[in-house]
Order: sequence, then structure tokens, then C-alpha cells
Amino acid sequence: MGISRTARRLALAGLLIAGTAFATVAEAQSGKTITGGFDVGPGGLPKNFNPLVSTAGFTWLSTYFEPLVVWNAELTELKGSLAKDWKVSDDQLTYTFNLAKETWHDGKPFTSKDVKFTFDLARNKASGSLFAARLGDIQSVETPDDRTVVIKLSKPNGSFLAVITQVLILPEHALAGIAPEQLANSKWWSTTPVGTGPFKFKQYVTDQYVELSADDDYRGGKPKVDTLINRYFENPAAAVAALRAGEIQFTYVESDDAATFKNDSNFTLIEGGSYVVNYIGLNQKVDLFKDLKVRQAIMYAIDRNAIVESLYGGAAKVANCGYVAPHLVPEGLEPYAYDPEKAKALLAEAGWDKINGDKPITLLTYYGSPQAANVMAAIQSMLAQVGVNIVPRVVDTPTYNGIVYKQGTPDWNAFPMIYAGLQNGPNPAGLNPGLNKSQLPPAGFNTMRIEFDDLSAAFDAALGQTDPAKVNASWQDVCKAMNKDLPWATLWVANRYGVASKKLKDFVWTPAPAGGPYAAHPELWDIQ
Amino acid sequence: MVLALSVLIFLLLRLAPGDPIDAYINPSVPLSPQDLEALRLRLSLDQPLPIQYLGWLRAALSGDFGYSIQRSGVAVLPLVLGRVGPTVLLMGTGLAIAIVVGIAGGIVSAVRRNAGPDISLSVLSFVGISSPAFLTALLGLYFFSVLLRWAPSGGMQTPGTPFSVFDVLTHLILPACLLSIGHAAMIMRYMRSSLLEVLGQDYVRTARAKGVREFWVIMKHATRNALLPVITLIGSTIGIAVGGAIFLESVFNWPGMGLLLVNAVGTRDYPVIMGATLVVGACVILVNLLTDIAYAFVDPRVRVS
Amino acid sequence: MALTTSMGEGVPRTKGPLRRAFGRFIANRAARAGLVILIPILLAVSTYHLWWPIGPNAIDLRAMNKGPSTAHWLGSDGVGRDVMARVLQGGRISLIVAVGSVAISTVIGFLVGAIASFGGRVVDSTVMRLVDLAMTSPPVIFLLVLASIAGTGIMPTILVISLLSWPVLSRMVRARLMELRERDFVVAARGMGARMPHLLLRHGLPNSIDILVVYATLQIANAILLEAGLSFLGLGIPPPEASWGNMLNLARSTIVLEQYPWQWMFPGAALVLTVLAINFIGDGLRDAFDPRSDLN
Repeated sequence: MGISRTARRLALAGLLIAGTAFATVAEAQSGKTITGGFDVGPGGLPKNFNPLVSTAGFTWLSTYFEPLVVWNAELTELKGSLAKDWKVSDDQLTYTFNLAKETWHDGKPFTSKDVKFTFDLARNKASGSLFAARLGDIQSVETPDDRTVVIKLSKPNGSFLAVITQVLILPEHALAGIAPEQLANSKWWSTTPVGTGPFKFKQYVTDQYVELSADDDYRGGKPKVDTLINRYFENPAAAVAALRAGEIQFTYVESDDAATFKNDSNFTLIEGGSYVVNYIGLNQKVDLFKDLKVRQAIMYAIDRNAIVESLYGGAAKVANCGYVAPHLVPEGLEPYAYDPEKAKALLAEAGWDKINGDKPITLLTYYGSPQAANVMAAIQSMLAQVGVNIVPRVVDTPTYNGIVYKQGTPDWNAFPMIYAGLQNGPNPAGLNPGLNKSQLPPAGFNTMRIEFDDLSAAFDAALGQTDPAKVNASWQDVCKAMNKDLPWATLWVANRYGVASKKLKDFVWTPAPAGGPYAAHPELWDIQ
Repeated sequence: MVLALSVLIFLLLRLAPGDPIDAYINPSVPLSPQDLEALRLRLSLDQPLPIQYLGWLRAALSGDFGYSIQRSGVAVLPLVLGRVGPTVLLMGTGLAIAIVVGIAGGIVSAVRRNAGPDISLSVLSFVGISSPAFLTALLGLYFFSVLLRWAPSGGMQTPGTPFSVFDVLTHLILPACLLSIGHAAMIMRYMRSSLLEVLGQDYVRTARAKGVREFWVIMKHATRNALLPVITLIGSTIGIAVGGAIFLESVFNWPGMGLLLVNAVGTRDYPVIMGATLVVGACVILVNLLTDIAYAFVDPRVRVS
Repeated sequence: MALTTSMGEGVPRTKGPLRRAFGRFIANRAARAGLVILIPILLAVSTYHLWWPIGPNAIDLRAMNKGPSTAHWLGSDGVGRDVMARVLQGGRISLIVAVGSVAISTVIGFLVGAIASFGGRVVDSTVMRLVDLAMTSPPVIFLLVLASIAGTGIMPTILVISLLSWPVLSRMVRARLMELRERDFVVAARGMGARMPHLLLRHGLPNSIDILVVYATLQIANAILLEAGLSFLGLGIPPPEASWGNMLNLARSTIVLEQYPWQWMFPGAALVLTVLAINFIGDGLRDAFDPRSDLN
């Protein structure tokens, strides 16, 4: 009956109006607060507070914990953080760090003992640390005095400083009492962690948000806002809704959504390189891609420029080797410009009809975003035109890893081709685990079983390069070898985006791989 | 029953591709396989399945459900129990709205059978049943939160403010209303057909013949009896509801059981899935019991026997 | 006909119950409307490749995110695929998944229910325990875990949906056939040494056919919704294959929701209309099979 319907509508309207009233009440907060989705997107790792087991999430963790050294905000060079400065010996084996003067959030002084404690913990597998292997070159950590730490390596390691940016220093006085085996399950991380950063931990409402408050005696100055809140979202789309509803002032956004914010006067769009090179991995254990001509044909068949222009809106750099940073890319690379006729000719020469013909080939990926689906649809259709019939298969990350990183002998036919990404910067050595023949599983992560001698030699030379002046040239050799031998069909390095409300002042964010850490200086962030 | 359920879920979980460590690897930032192997050992994932299960069972029987693998230092039991409240709140409110609207609509529909109100209500309820929950949730979120800003876009409370009932209510109202649509439509259909049947029966005619006013005939004599099948329906809905409304919870970031499970399955967080299964399973059994009691309360025949 | 003998009690013999049911069905306005909506959709979805020039996976990077036009009646999507073709192909996939899963779950549900009721007390209680287990296990967990084991794609989705939905049916079938178990003709058949297949086919099936038909119809509507939901959670049909669910998933992105409404509105409308029509038909069938409905 009409009455009932009207009544229902009235009731609904009434409830919603009441809701608005409540919302206004709730907004009245004391002090300045910045709320953001700091763990949204690939650089985030929500719900994790233990830096020793972090694979990402450093943007947020580094607002209250700090490492010895960090990247600058442009990710081009390293700067001191808890280490004021540092010296490296000529043989690249001894690192001497001068520590800054700082107190832990609970008032205890920060000393070199904390640094030694942290490094010992990070090298101790029992603590569940994911740094044990990466810090394997450390021979000793010494503390000549309270403000000095000397780390000695057993062999030169060009990536050492880059690795320790993610070793966030932990307080010995708070954690020494917990056995390393119990550390990962300790409540301390999510209830009373103590750091040295500009903000101190206030509370964590499980799976909803983390609240920090300003550390008034931070060595970089008293933070400009009183409260910093990290809200968790299930996906970037939910965070975008909250951003547009005015509930948060910052979040990572997918590149599709970034376009909506470009001309919006209420928001600033922050754009930066992802430092992840996307590629099509070609499994060397199946008989499809052993011939270089086939691999070349795949490169020629994909119109990477068109995909970058249309699907990425131009916000990606086409990669002709694993790198796109100008100082790592030599002159005279083959550009593999789109040429389907040449691709067909190469395939004919290689005898593709006999190798595979038009049988479907699985292209496995863990990229589940709508944009990735579009990219794969484009690649599928382009390869179909030259007679390579691929079938994209999207799975979630655990399934992907379960297939590709399976111990023993994986089912090669489950991943003849993968569409994936690998970190290629700021430290160029990031590609080594995926491409060097010394990194074949179980030793490393060369899951496509690439055993190319020239390429492996180039990697080994670059990693062992002790002369800083020659480092870039060595990595350029790696690039050349990749471009020539095509272990992968390299695609592009895309940009990633964050969106900040115009209300934020002096806000620094960059889409760093794993979230950094980089010098974001949260103490300077302000809100109108 | 709960034990059988735990064996079943345990086995099913291990059949799913990828384990908690696989969920932890970011494929674009490779870690050393040795470090990952050490993690597997620490979580006893290398042990044979029966031993893993018995280990879990022994601990669980002594009240220790372990720790969430994907969270730092969060024990499973408080985590799962902490989700019961929000889920019950959301589902309870949503169902309450649905019951009121559904029963009222069903009565109107049955009384005005085949007249304008009945047809429009019936069409509405069919559309309600036929719309995917996530679509109504997405559209509701977009219109009421993003465009009109009448209600918050998600979560259960405003971060950084002290807990307040008003605050929770503002977060609750939109998802609860959207949630009620499908249930209200269902209840309305049941109520209508069940009331129609009752209205044709002898004792209703007798009541009318006695000169009882039509309003009371419907409210007192007919409705009460027509409620029986509706209660069964509501009971089974509640049983399912304890598991959480996956779609609404995931669109609105509501910290309920459904969202916890979606996440836990997505990250293969075995201890959380096992703990949640047990808690939800126990709740379902409890709710079924309560439904039987409610049935007895409404149906005098059951009470007598 | 077996049906008449078993349902014959007290029903006038002038018309068979099936024909009477058919008459009631046709007299039902909503059911007629359901047929009128559903038949063209089915026709379009199953024959579109014969009359629509664009394939569902043909990309066109120069015509991305374009609104409806003469070339693309329902517009184009993020890689310039034709939304019309994808809605139709998506409908084909969604319907294949729905029909396939309902066929499987109907068979399982019927067999389990019938075996429980004809198989004797021990079989009955074991089987019904299993059904109880399947029903008390929270569907969310079941759904998610099953989906992550089976993986994504058409066959796994069919499997997940059918495994999820059979217990309800087997309960209904059992309840119906339990009454039958002690009746003379079944006891006689058993006494003469009739085997299980005979009992199931000659007595079980004809006596529960109405339940099966109504269940199957309504369950197709549910399965379409479930497929959409699974795809929304990323567990159903993965792109680039089109399904109504994964096309609707695009509406998660505010830019699509706001600026390219044709990308989700058309699949959404197609889905709601189809499910609505099937629900109308299912409801009509239920009333038609219910002898009491003549009284109202």
C-alpha cells in the first residue's frame, strides 16, 4: 500500500538525516590530524608491524621506526637517518656509521647497542627475520662507543647500503627480554612499540586503523600535526571512495583512477616511477622459447608504444632491457619497434608451426587489476595476429607463488609464459635474482630457469664491481646482454600514483618499491 | 559436528594452491628462498598433515588457537571473537529492518492482493531478490557516501576519535539498509504467500463471522500463524548471516567475520581460517537451536507437545 | 504414467496433474512476463555470433571507453572491446555456468536425497549427517576455500556453485520420498528384489519431479547471482573472458562507475532482467505444481 511505501521512504530519509547529524558531531576532533591510506597499493603491507618480516609497508613503518640510512625522496641517492653520516673503507669491507643523538619514544637514549642488537636480530633466522640471507655478508658488528657502529663485511657488496635502508632500528631495552623465537608473535609490535621516528605509536584498532601521535622532542623538530592515522582498505577503490568522501587526505591510486584526479582542484596527483619492470617471462624449461628468433618475434609482435600510450595514458617508459633509468641504458640498443610482418617472418624461420603452431599457451599472472586485464587482452590480441595463441590466466598471489616457486620440479606447463614484474631500482642489482644462472631455485628466484652465460657473467661483473666510477658501465653491460639475448620479453616500467588532498602542506610521498623507506620527513607534514 | 567441520576445512585448506608463505612473497621483490624456508619450518608447514592437524587440535582443545600469520603478534581467538560483535551488529540491524519492512510489506501485499500496491510491492521484491548484493552495495556507497556525503564510506568508527555510539550508528546505517534490501524482499514474498494461505482457512472465516474487525482478524489471527514459515526462513538466514555478509563487508570495509574470512583465505592464514570456522560453526548450531525455541514460542502446537 | 498413479489420490481424473499445472502456469501473469523477457535474451545470447559483427575479445586501442554509437551500440570498454558483444558473450558464459552447475547439483541433490530415503536407516543417517555437515559449515568459508582450491575459470566455477547448492535439494527430496518409503508399491517392489537404480528411476524420480523442476529453475537464478558474486571477489570467471560478474566488477573503480556507466549498466541490467525473469518463471512453476494454489 502507498502509505507503507511512503512511510518506508520517510523512515529511510529520517535515518539518513540523523546519520548526517552524527557525522558532523564525529568530525569535531582536537588538534591537527592527517588520515591516510598509507598501506594501500603495492608498497603497503597492512596489519604488519614487525619490520624484520616486512616485505613492504616501509612508508608507514618509517614514520615511527627509523633505519640508519634512507633513500632521498627522489630515490636517487642515500642519506643519513639515524646515522648522521658514514664512511666506507677503500676495500669496500668496513662501514663506519656515526649515530645521531636521539631518544626512544619512552625516553631511553638511543645508542650503538641498539644498532648492534637490531643487526644481530635481523641476521638470526630464529627471529623469523627475512634479512638473514641478505645480511649474510656481514662478518661483525662492533660498537667502539655509544655513537659509533662499525660493520665489517666478508666480501664487497655494492647493495649493502641499499639493503640496510630496510633494517629499521629496534630498541634493545624493550626487546632483549623476548626470546627471538617468540618475537614474531609478540604483542609488543601492535600494542606498545617504541621507535625513534617523528611520531609515536598510540593505538591500533585491529584491522581498522593505526593512530600515532607527535613525538615532541624529535631531533628533526616537533611535528606540525598532532596525530597521524593510517586507515586500512581492502582495495584501492575503497580508499578512493574514502578520499573523495573527504574522510582521508591521501592514498595510493590505480592508474585508471588517477585520471579522474588530474584536473580536480581539490587534489594533487603525485606521480613517480614504480621501479618495477614488467615483462613476459619465457620459461626455458618448455620447448617453446629456446630459439632466439621466437623471443625476438614476440618482442616485435607487441606494440608496446601503443599500449603505453593508450592503456597507461603515456605514463610508462618502454623498456628494451631490464632498466629504463638513463644512467643504466647504453646507446645502440635494438628498439624492437612494432613490426608484425617481421615477427611473422621470424616465427616462420624458427619453424613455429612445428614448435607449437596455434596451440594455446598459458600466460600466468598475479596481476588482478582491471588495467592488467586490459593489458593482457591487448597482448593476447597482438600475439594472435602473428600466430601465437596465448590464454591469460589470472590467479591470486599465493596461487601464483605456489605454482612458480614450487620446490622440487614444478609443472613447467603451468607457466610457460608469465606476465610479471621485478624490482629494477633504485638498486639495479634487484634483477639479479631473477636472471642470473647462479640464482636457479632452490638457491635463488630464477624461476624461468634462464641460464644465459653472457648475461650471468655481466651480472657477476656488475655485482663485484668495486670501483664506483665503473659501476654504471657494468650495469649497462647487463642491459646490453638482456637486449641481445632476450631472456624476457621486456615491456615497460609504469608510473604509479598517489593522490593527496590540497589541504596537505609539505607532504612528501613517492611510490617507492616496498614503500621505501625514503626521507619523507613526516614531521614537516601539515594540514590546513 | 564441529570437529568434523574442522577436519574438513583443514583438509580443504591444504588442497588449495599456495601456502601462507607463498602469500607472503611479493613476486616483484624476491626474497631469499632460504629465509622463506626458515619461515616454513617455524610454522611447522613441513610436517605431515595428520601431525599438523593433531598439533593444532591439541592446542585448540587447551584454548590456544595460535597466532595470525599475516598480522604481527595478534592471537587468533581474540581476533575472531572481536569480529562476532560487528557482524552481529550489522546483520542484526539489517535483518531487523528487513523483518519490519518485509512483514509489513507482505501483509499489505496479501491484504490488497492483485491490487496496485500488491503488484508494485511484488515487482519491487522480485527486483530486490534479483539484484546482486555487491552491485546495490557499490551503488549505495557511491550515491550516499561519495556524492551526497550523507554517510561515511566505510569502516565502523571514525579513526582517531574516541568510541561513541553515534559514530558507530553513522557507519552502520548505510550498509545495514543496503543489506536489508535482499532479505526484506525475500521475507515479503514468504509473508505474502503464507498469509494468503492462512486467510483462506476456516478459523479466519470463523473469526470474521464472529464479527471481529478485519484489522484484528489480520493482525491477531492470521498474521501470527502466517509467521511460522517466515520464522524458519529468518532462522536459516541468521544461520548463514553469522558467516558475515561478504559483499557488504568488503565494499564497506566493515570489520566483520566475512571480511576477516575473505582476507584470511586470500592470504592463506590457516590459523585464522580454522579459528573462524569453529566460531562460526558453533554460532550456526546455536542459532538453529534458538530458531527452534522461537518456533515453539509462536506456534502453540509445539508448545503443548 | 507413473506420475498419475502416485499423485492420483483424491485428484479428479479429468485432466492429468501435469496438464493442470501447465494450465495454471500459463494463467500466471508474472510467469508469462518471465517467458516474454527470457526467451529473447536466450535467443540473443545463443545466436549473437551469427548476427553481430564484432567479437567479444576484439580490441581497438583507438576506440577506448567510448559511449554508445552506431558502431558500438552499447559503447566500448577500457581496451576498446565492444560492450554489446561482451554483454552477450558474458551472458552466454554466465548461463552456461548457471545451467551447468544446476544440472550437476540437481543430480547430486536428487541422488543423495533419494538414496538416503530408500537406502535403509544406516545409510540414511550417515548420508544425512553429511548433508548436515555441508549445511552447517558456514557457506562463506566453504565458498572461499572451494573457490581457492578449484581455481578460476568456467569449469571450476561450475564445480564450486554446484557443490555449494546440492544439500538443500537433497533435504527436500528426502522429505518427499520418506513418506513413500513405507508405501505398498515401494515395499512390493523391494520385496520383488528391485535394485536401487530401479527404485530411484521408477519411483523416486517421478515422485519428486516437481521439486526438481522448481528447484532447478530458481537455482539457475541463484547461480547467476553467485557467479557474479564470485567473479566480483576475483574467484569466478577471470578476464579477459567476459562474464556478467566480471564486467560488473569494473564498477568498483569510481571512474568507470561515474564516467563510463555503459560499461557496467548494460551487463547489470542484463543480469537483473534475466534473474528476474527466471524468478518469475520459477515462482510460477511452484504455484503451478502446488495443488492448493487453486484454492486461493
